[in-house]
Amino acid sequence: MSNPREHWSQVGDKFYRKTPLYTDVFDEDLDLENYVVTGAPYSGAVAIVRNEDKVHSYRGTHAAKTSIDIYSCAGKLIRQIPWNAGLIKAVGWSEDERLLVVTSDGTVRSYTDLQGDFVPFNLGHGAEDFGVQACKFWSRGFVALLGNNNLVSVTRYDEPRPQLLAAPPQGDVTAWTLIPPEHTSSRSVEVLLAIDKTVYVIDAVEAEDRGLEAGPFRHISTSPNGDFIALYTDDGKVWVISSDFQDRLSEHESKVRTPPKDLQWCGNNAVVLAWEDEIHLIGPSGSVFDKFDTYDSFVHLLPDFDGIRILTRDVCEFLQKVPEPTEQVFRLGSPHPSAILLDAIEQLENKSPKADDNIQTIRPQLDEAVDFCVRAAGQQYSIHWQKQLLKSASFGKSVLDLYDSDDFVEMTETLRVLNAVRFHETGLPLSYEQYIRLTPERLVQRLVNRQDYLLATKISEFLHLPVDKIYINWARQKVISSSSTDQDNICQEIVRKLEGTRGVSFEEVARAAYDEGRPKLATELLGHEPRAGKQVPLLLSVGEESIALDKAIESGDTDLVFYVLLNLKKKVGLSDFFRTISTRPIASAIVESSAQEQDQDLLKDLYYQDDRLVDGSNLLLSEALSAADIDRTVDKLKMAIKVFHDSKGHASHVAALQDAQKLLRFQETFEKDLNEQFIGMSVNETISKLIRLGNMKRSHKVQAEFKVTDKTYSWLRLRALVSRRDWRELEELSKGRKSPIGWEPYFNEVLGAGNTKIAALYISKCTSLPVADRIEMWVKCGMIAKAGEEALKAKDKNSLEELRSQVTGEAAGEIQRMINQLQKGR
Amino acid sequence: MAVPPAGRAINTQDIIDKARRQLLHLLEAIRGKKNLVIERSLAGTIGLFVKFSTLQEYGVDKLFFLENHNVDSTQRNLVFLVRGENAKAIRTVAEQIRLVRSESKIDHDFSIIWVPRRTMVSNLMLEEHGVLGEANISELDLQFIPLEKDVLSLELDNSFQDLYLRKDPTSVFASAKALMLLQKQYGLFPRILGKGDNAKRLADLLQRMRSEEEVNASSDPNNAYLASFGLTPSSIVENLIIIDRETDLPTIFATQLTYEGLLDEVFGISNNQTEVDASVLGPAAPQQPQNGSTTTPVAASKRKVQLDNTDKLFPSLRDANFATIGPVLNRTARRLQAESESMHKPDQSIQDLKSVVSKLPGFQSESGSVKIHTSLAEEIMKFTRSDTFRRTLEVEQNLLAGGSDASSVHGSIEDLIARAVPLETVLRLLCLESCLGNGLRQRDLEDFKRQIVQAYGYQHVLTLANLEKMGLLLPREGHRGYLNPIAGSAGQTATDWNAARRNLNLWVDEVQEADPEDIAYVFSGYAPLSVRLVQCILQKSALQPSNASSGRPGAAATSAATPDSRTSGTTGWKPFEDAVSRIKGATVDVVQKGADADASHARQTLRSTVAREGPRVSIVFFLGGVTYAEIAALRFVSEQLERSSGRTLVIATTGIVSGRRAINVAVEKRSLKT
Repeated sequence: MSNPREHWSQVGDKFYRKTPLYTDVFDEDLDLENYVVTGAPYSGAVAIVRNEDKVHSYRGTHAAKTSIDIYSCAGKLIRQIPWNAGLIKAVGWSEDERLLVVTSDGTVRSYTDLQGDFVPFNLGHGAEDFGVQACKFWSRGFVALLGNNNLVSVTRYDEPRPQLLAAPPQGDVTAWTLIPPEHTSSRSVEVLLAIDKTVYVIDAVEAEDRGLEAGPFRHISTSPNGDFIALYTDDGKVWVISSDFQDRLSEHESKVRTPPKDLQWCGNNAVVLAWEDEIHLIGPSGSVFDKFDTYDSFVHLLPDFDGIRILTRDVCEFLQKVPEPTEQVFRLGSPHPSAILLDAIEQLENKSPKADDNIQTIRPQLDEAVDFCVRAAGQQYSIHWQKQLLKSASFGKSVLDLYDSDDFVEMTETLRVLNAVRFHETGLPLSYEQYIRLTPERLVQRLVNRQDYLLATKISEFLHLPVDKIYINWARQKVISSSSTDQDNICQEIVRKLEGTRGVSFEEVARAAYDEGRPKLATELLGHEPRAGKQVPLLLSVGEESIALDKAIESGDTDLVFYVLLNLKKKVGLSDFFRTISTRPIASAIVESSAQEQDQDLLKDLYYQDDRLVDGSNLLLSEALSAADIDRTVDKLKMAIKVFHDSKGHASHVAALQDAQKLLRFQETFEKDLNEQFIGMSVNETISKLIRLGNMKRSHKVQAEFKVTDKTYSWLRLRALVSRRDWRELEELSKGRKSPIGWEPYFNEVLGAGNTKIAALYISKCTSLPVADRIEMWVKCGMIAKAGEEALKAKDKNSLEELRSQVTGEAAGEIQRMINQLQKGR
Repeated sequence: MAVPPAGRAINTQDIIDKARRQLLHLLEAIRGKKNLVIERSLAGTIGLFVKFSTLQEYGVDKLFFLENHNVDSTQRNLVFLVRGENAKAIRTVAEQIRLVRSESKIDHDFSIIWVPRRTMVSNLMLEEHGVLGEANISELDLQFIPLEKDVLSLELDNSFQDLYLRKDPTSVFASAKALMLLQKQYGLFPRILGKGDNAKRLADLLQRMRSEEEVNASSDPNNAYLASFGLTPSSIVENLIIIDRETDLPTIFATQLTYEGLLDEVFGISNNQTEVDASVLGPAAPQQPQNGSTTTPVAASKRKVQLDNTDKLFPSLRDANFATIGPVLNRTARRLQAESESMHKPDQSIQDLKSVVSKLPGFQSESGSVKIHTSLAEEIMKFTRSDTFRRTLEVEQNLLAGGSDASSVHGSIEDLIARAVPLETVLRLLCLESCLGNGLRQRDLEDFKRQIVQAYGYQHVLTLANLEKMGLLLPREGHRGYLNPIAGSAGQTATDWNAARRNLNLWVDEVQEADPEDIAYVFSGYAPLSVRLVQCILQKSALQPSNASSGRPGAAATSAATPDSRTSGTTGWKPFEDAVSRIKGATVDVVQKGADADASHARQTLRSTVAREGPRVSIVFFLGGVTYAEIAALRFVSEQLERSSGRTLVIATTGIVSGRRAINVAVEKRSLKT
């Protein structure tokens, strides 16, 4: 039974603890001094690359080959990536354990899993000419410092878009770091450059001098929460200031001559300085632990957000501030109820009645005691103490009447997972906080990346997580690692294993097969993909365009259909293209619809191919509408007619087009003769305008030429005459005997124009209307007497009486006279 | 007739908040000031949930519409907000980025926000223009936007054109996506019913998406593991009823006679706003400057009027038949007058004054809204009193009531053509006749075509061709449709309108506009087929022949607490299968069960105990657009259902449609002018 305080050290009034994680990490003949060592966040993998700046002792050809070696924290080699692609300037990790390698010419390789598949991209912005000096990484991106001090930032890896930040001043950069976007007020990355005596803050828009005087600075580092900055001055001082440069929080003078090799934050409240084989720790408010620890071999610092991993050839350790619950439980002489509860369980094991005394003492705070024990258990790496603490908690909660055990149960589950992955074979020494931040899903992903499918599946099942990803990854790996001869077997094996698993995407497996250069296997696997849409891109890649088109149509996603069509058109000839779409109405519709807007020629070919005469002709008519001058318009119209030259059954269509052409010619003449605008008008409008201009003869000619009915012509004439207030002509018309549209419209139109006198002329002609209507017409014209006469003629006494009630004065007398006459007549 | 609280179950405010948050978050992520370039058709939609001043707070300096070569390069940041499914817009974006890059002196940062999703075609097109790597690309997942608490719209302006002229099913897919989102939120629709070929397509797509969703859900790392256990049937939504616009085209050509419908007919409404001449609203404008919230001046001569439930009066007017609007306005005006007089009483105590002051803001906004609606109503009156309107309506009603005499109808239409009434009016009538009669007689059609191109110009050869393509104006063919006994059994290719009129009571002779008993009030006699179909499912009693024999089908509806209302959720089309089968297009009836039988069962048990009192909703989805008159009719149905059985309706649609919009899709706007 180890002492829980075995590796505790007091710095100021705080405790720090060092947890030995693994021993005998690396080969004995590996000298880490000559290597750059970087670790992925959340206790992830470690990448080791030969430091090209250092002179090596010659060790034979074997060691001269450059490679990037990826190890677990326990020193198990996960992957060796041979390297021959230029001078490596920086190696870094993202939080999803993506390895990034930046070479001096600005090429970046992004290795998504730990297996050596990479996506390259280029920094641009002059990286090639000036060379990359160094890079600083954060969880989701990085910034590269170029030879001319320019800074290029990359903020996402799925679609990297290197962006040039504001131009920094010239001068030697003695140290630099960055504040990740999530911790800045502008929500974009800020870079801190130490040049000369001061520090500049640079973001996308501006470079600002913070006006420090104490430089030059050898080291600069931002705390994990972005609140503080630690600086190491040339004269051996360590400063801690707030990241807005407003407050100076502490200053410490180290008495060491040689500047430290590295300066990193340990959590958010201590700074670690590392020399070759020793580390110093500077706690809050300047409390210091010089020579905190010394090691047998060269030390590398791998900072995490809640502590720091210390890696040497021999050991891997985790240094962190002792977490609050742990301190409360284990601190010597701690009066905290949880400490007493822990003691109680020891008493209980010794069968001492003191156990009960203990419980009684802390009875009022038993809740808190249980809670602290559970939380402290999470912070323990030693399985013995985890058990001891959980036992205490369990004992405590058995005494409590009411206790929600969720936290307790969850912690036992979490600890099982943590202990499993911490095991040296796996080598993921996650702290509890790291696990919570990483999330179980991403932990499983990390295991999958390490091809530890068994553990990944077990953990997923234990935590009720979906397992499809694991199966897919396994299948991909199977495809990649299998030989190309037993194609059928592989497909069968994969299908057998994956079928029945919910949500498995065969598309991803098929893509892996395709990427491995095995299109046949890819197509075969793709057949098992349930989502039609997902099959499309890959089907296009393997050259199965028409199947891709069918699948796209099946998916109902027109975007996909259109996408396939665009690809298809580029690839095959026009006639093949048309043949492919002709049997698929939706595809034709989409081609037609998109061509309408951008590719009229394609449309013409399509209509011609399909023998769609009317559509083809209409397309030419549409072109005629946009033609620049009248001759071209007429040409297009002629072409539109010609489309039908050897077909029957479109007579009315042809006639309309011929009329259109004829009308244009007429209008051209009218424009010349009458010096008025006609082109663009319809037949009816042309007639109407001619009448308005007084050109009756011409209007009749147009009527005859275009076979405009008399009815229509009468309407046109009436409205045209009214609109030019040609009362004389209208009066003349009223003498006519017959009208194709009757006389009522004349009355209405003229009345509408306000001429009651002329309007009245038509009333007597409206013989087909009932008397009441005619009476009303007279009234509308203000001729009450006439209205009366109309009523009298029809012997309509009621109407007369109504009229009388409406009017006064002379007219009233008149109406009364008529009423009397009517009564007399009776 | 206030907007019924149908929306209670579907939280529309949530949708608005989420959309706003998402957009602002995307804008915030782009540092510094930016110019925003927005697709014109999106601008109004965006305006439904975020104000320009808010955009300004988030760094938007200037706003542009996406058109050719109009981008200003004053800001380093240029943000495009464009529909990712619109190939034309994508190309314009690519061209503009290229243009700005080559012409501007400063180094720009381009961002593109695709609505509602980033498409493969957009990637391809940007790549072809060599600008894919130039832009920061993100998505704004905008699906249904509430126009009102009970109306969700995709606001796809082009959906009618795409579906019926171009035969492009993009909006079917977009609808399926949006409905899937609702299902994810509220659970599986336990039953999907619908009518029309596109409705069938949509229902199939929903089923397919559901099975694919299970694959997607578990391969999405951000998805909480609970979601991956699959969807279970909803406890709130009972039915999804899909009405394919194609099954009921006549309704859109009938003149809408509700107040909101007429506003749309006369002035046009888009995104809950209408634009009218300032002169229409008269001198009200200068006197009511505080009305800024309701009306905002646009250009000198136009004013925008907001038409939604923020207005004091509008909710009570919108769905009423226009004939009854006058009295309501009168009454309100008189009441306000009385209130105003009581306010101006000379002898008032401090208490009185206090209450007067507290009432003042409400009073002012209400009197402002009375003024606005009175002016609007007067303007509509001018329209409805016109001779053209009278004649058009007469023809229309004759056609809808059936049994009209073709020659008199044709005579009237010929007159209208000769009198040069707007082309749209003529085409509406012809399309109405064609849709109701499954085409026009070949000779009549040729005649009308000739008259139209002569009266309105030969460019309309194209217009007429478009109408034919859309199936709106066709020659009657003997071998098509119900006359043909061997017509496909999968679904009718034409509707037997006479049978439908008889079976579903599409014409009601006595309509009481002021106190309606039946949905037919919205067209003063014609009951829209689309809404009757909904009633076939949800309000069978309103259509039962036994009740209809009294000649007053609506009477039954008001006392509708008949047993069938309780079981309507499970009986589907019964007993109207026969009537429905004689209507064009496929009939859809799908029952959706949960993937996990246990979970569904558990939900079912819970539902039977908990949700009995909770709101139960049927979603009526109009594929291809809905008219305001239909919305009014559905609200009427919803109100009756709520009274009888506590059920309500939520209306969802691809967009608002009207006869004018439908015709405008076809009309060729250019002329033979050089």
